[in-house]
Amino acid sequence: MDKVIQILCLILFDGTSALAIISKGLLIIGIWRLLQKSGLKGWWALIPGAREYQLSRCAGREPEGRVLSVITIAMLLISIVAEFIIPIRIDNMSEEAAIEAALTRLMILSIITIPLIFTHFIYNIRVWSGLINVYGLPKKWLWLCLIDYTRIIPALLWGFSKKYQPEWQVEDIKAEMERLATSGSAAVMDDGLTVNLEERTATEFFHKKTLLRDIHMAIPQGHMVLLLGGSGAGKTTYLNAINGYEKAKAEVMLNGNNMYTQYKKMQHEVGFVPQSEMMRGKDTVINTLLDAAKLRLPKDVSGKQRRERVDEVMDIFGLKPVKNNLVEKLSGGQKKRLSISIEFISNPSLFILDEPDSGLDGVMARELFVQLRKIADTGKIIIVITHTPDRVIDLFDDVIVLAKDSARTGRLAYYGSIQDARTFFQRDTMEQIVKSVNRKEEGGDGMADDYVLKYAEVQHG
Amino acid sequence: MAELNTNKTARQYTVRYRGRCSQLGIYLGKLLRMFVYQNDWKVIPMSALIAGLVGMVTRIECFLNMEGTLFGSFAMTCVCIWNGCFNSIQVICRERDVIKREHRSGMHISTYVFSHMLYQALLCLAQTAVTLYVTEWVGVPYPKEGLITPYFMVDFGISMFLITYASDMLSLWVSALAHNTTTAMTIMPFVLIFQLVFSGGMLPLPEWTEPLTHFTISNPGLKVLAAQSDTNSRPYATIANMISKMRDNEIGGTVTVGQVLDLLQDKDNSAIQELRAKEIGKVFSLGELKEMLDQSVTFEAFQKEQILGDMTVQDVLRFVMESEQFQKERTTALPGSNVTLGDVLQSVMDSEDLQPVTSFQLTHLTTVGDVLNAIDAKGLLEKYKDVNVGGTFTVGEAVDMLAGNGDVQARRDTEITVKTSLGKAIDIIGEEKVKSFLEEKAAAASYNPNFEYTEENVIGYWLHLTMFVFAFAFLATITLEFIDKDRR
Repeated sequence: MDKVIQILCLILFDGTSALAIISKGLLIIGIWRLLQKSGLKGWWALIPGAREYQLSRCAGREPEGRVLSVITIAMLLISIVAEFIIPIRIDNMSEEAAIEAALTRLMILSIITIPLIFTHFIYNIRVWSGLINVYGLPKKWLWLCLIDYTRIIPALLWGFSKKYQPEWQVEDIKAEMERLATSGSAAVMDDGLTVNLEERTATEFFHKKTLLRDIHMAIPQGHMVLLLGGSGAGKTTYLNAINGYEKAKAEVMLNGNNMYTQYKKMQHEVGFVPQSEMMRGKDTVINTLLDAAKLRLPKDVSGKQRRERVDEVMDIFGLKPVKNNLVEKLSGGQKKRLSISIEFISNPSLFILDEPDSGLDGVMARELFVQLRKIADTGKIIIVITHTPDRVIDLFDDVIVLAKDSARTGRLAYYGSIQDARTFFQRDTMEQIVKSVNRKEEGGDGMADDYVLKYAEVQHG
Repeated sequence: MAELNTNKTARQYTVRYRGRCSQLGIYLGKLLRMFVYQNDWKVIPMSALIAGLVGMVTRIECFLNMEGTLFGSFAMTCVCIWNGCFNSIQVICRERDVIKREHRSGMHISTYVFSHMLYQALLCLAQTAVTLYVTEWVGVPYPKEGLITPYFMVDFGISMFLITYASDMLSLWVSALAHNTTTAMTIMPFVLIFQLVFSGGMLPLPEWTEPLTHFTISNPGLKVLAAQSDTNSRPYATIANMISKMRDNEIGGTVTVGQVLDLLQDKDNSAIQELRAKEIGKVFSLGELKEMLDQSVTFEAFQKEQILGDMTVQDVLRFVMESEQFQKERTTALPGSNVTLGDVLQSVMDSEDLQPVTSFQLTHLTTVGDVLNAIDAKGLLEKYKDVNVGGTFTVGEAVDMLAGNGDVQARRDTEITVKTSLGKAIDIIGEEKVKSFLEEKAAAASYNPNFEYTEENVIGYWLHLTMFVFAFAFLATITLEFIDKDRR
């Protein structure tokens, strides 16, 4: 029974001495109040690991909180293990041998614990430093936040005094999500891309995050579509969900075929060109393309056909003059074109490009988009993310606008023609549209929620 | 646009893409091109350089004595681990983004890792060959005959290849774990330190760390190289070398008569047995003995030693004559003559000429010289100067005679203080003999069953290393399978 109480004390208060129990108890009370002030449940303060993580959310330091939480749990486990294994004494063992064995076990545990204690210390500073920022206090408060014993003071003071209030609260996501709920679906097209995405979630530690929600659209063949959205709006997540690479709760149909159920067979129907080049710099252009052809073309395509296809793609993207050059020796524009060529080898029906114009000057970017327009005109669907859309907007048919709503979920704020988008948002340029849906703290107009609800209303009445 | 036979229908996809086996060629070709363009070839001359440096240090004593061979084996293990680790530490992490992209395009991770396994095997094989060639070239005296195959170099090469390859795969796994080259190169020193510290062969480890050695490549690596080099039957030279360097050091201490006798009668000790067989003594006259004593500085000093007496010389002689211990010696003839000890003493006691001497009262402090003068020792020796005494006998016989003597046995616990130099003590037996004796005994004491020169031992370690190769390759594959979970 004593052992059970000891373990419980260890779990709750990190120790069994009266000092440990009193000091940790006071700290827990303080953190309980801090969590409540930030709009979270106070009882999280009772659970080691969760306490640190939830506090990091209040401090706006979630990544640090994850590390801190893991380390806290690891240290707790070690202290419980130590409680059991250090005093173990084998029968017939002399007093000296027993002490020696206990010291050895202590030494092993110490070797593991010392780096953890140091990391715990550093990450605690990071989290409490975040809290100081959230409460708008001077940095000198950090001196009181270095160790648990002194943290009691700021925890109780900030927690109970009305003088100290956080600058923002951890949102009540659930209520916000209910407020902003929309519904609907897009009719499946035989020739084109139909996306009916209910939600795309990711579980992080102690809560589930909804990254994307309620996105429904049908893009006909031959359309070149611009994908707009502020940073963190979920553009790349959406593209990954479309091509089936990161599956969502959704139905994605390409030319009447389900991308999710036939992913392995259809993966070369989608060409995804990543933002960075992601190619081996020390390989030649021709070998890069030939290998790409071997990987992406069906097994029964002959060597001759493969080489013809590579030649053709090099012609389209103007890579023939540099075909024997090493990739690392190519210019920025040539690298982009090669990166696109790699995906274009398999002649995909859906072509997705993540910022293909990054690092290119205006002329080269325009040339690239003209090339993409030509490809779209052959009946392909092309979806492009770009941060400088206005210089090439005349080449696009449609625009998708994704926005981060107040529940921090990526939502569809608009999908339709370019001209209609200008009318819908009452803005002249695409950059102004992005600014209108961006959050205020990001320098935007903070109208994402309004447009999400307006678009849902327009679409489904 | 050329027509591709993609065989797509509107609703049903029957297209087949390259499977694991046919993708292997793509990646092997890519890796071989990287060997040329990415400067991966540099690991070969690098291994030659390392082998040259290590070979120059180890050649002096490697395969000649136990310590040199063990040190050489450890150095070779380190070379192999170093080569293996640096072959592949960056190969995956440097192109992680590319792998992710290609995986997305249908690349099988298992194929990718397997292509690396094949490519790295070739690289390790080349490095092993280069290392062996260079070390032999700088003068490491490799034995000729192998244990498993007829050639030592082949046996040793297989072991070195397996150590290099296992380290290579370990590094491949680290490279798969690390998300960039900086992280990989930060982890690498810890991996190397762990391998070297817990090799379990060179550094003394606390008992509780013993299980950790089972998880190092260096442990079976060192054992297999040491076993193949027949380390156990090599002489242990350090102690003998140390003693040679310490010849001028003074040694001394107290030993008992019994300890000296027991040592000189040790039948298992070959050096002592040789000493016992040594012939000593010669026939000499008492005149020669007198001359020798006259010239002896020690004897002169001995004569000044003070002794205490409280009876006549006659009493002393009688006491000796009647003592139980003397009865055994009484009839013993002096070596080389018919005169017995009893006769000599009796004649002294009975001699009228010696009456003034035998009646001499030893009731006060006197010196040995006085006593000798009193008995006219010099006169006696002069008188019997033509009597031949002594003879040829061995050290063993002398020792046995002393050991058989009751008086000597009764004084077994008598302490003798010895003071001499180590060199002089060694010279009594002979330096070469002491050296070979110490080497033999120290080697026997340093015998390590893990280094036993047997086929089972070597094959067991080979299997152990092979298991590491596949285990680390498997871990690398599993780790890379999670590449999609990388944070963007």
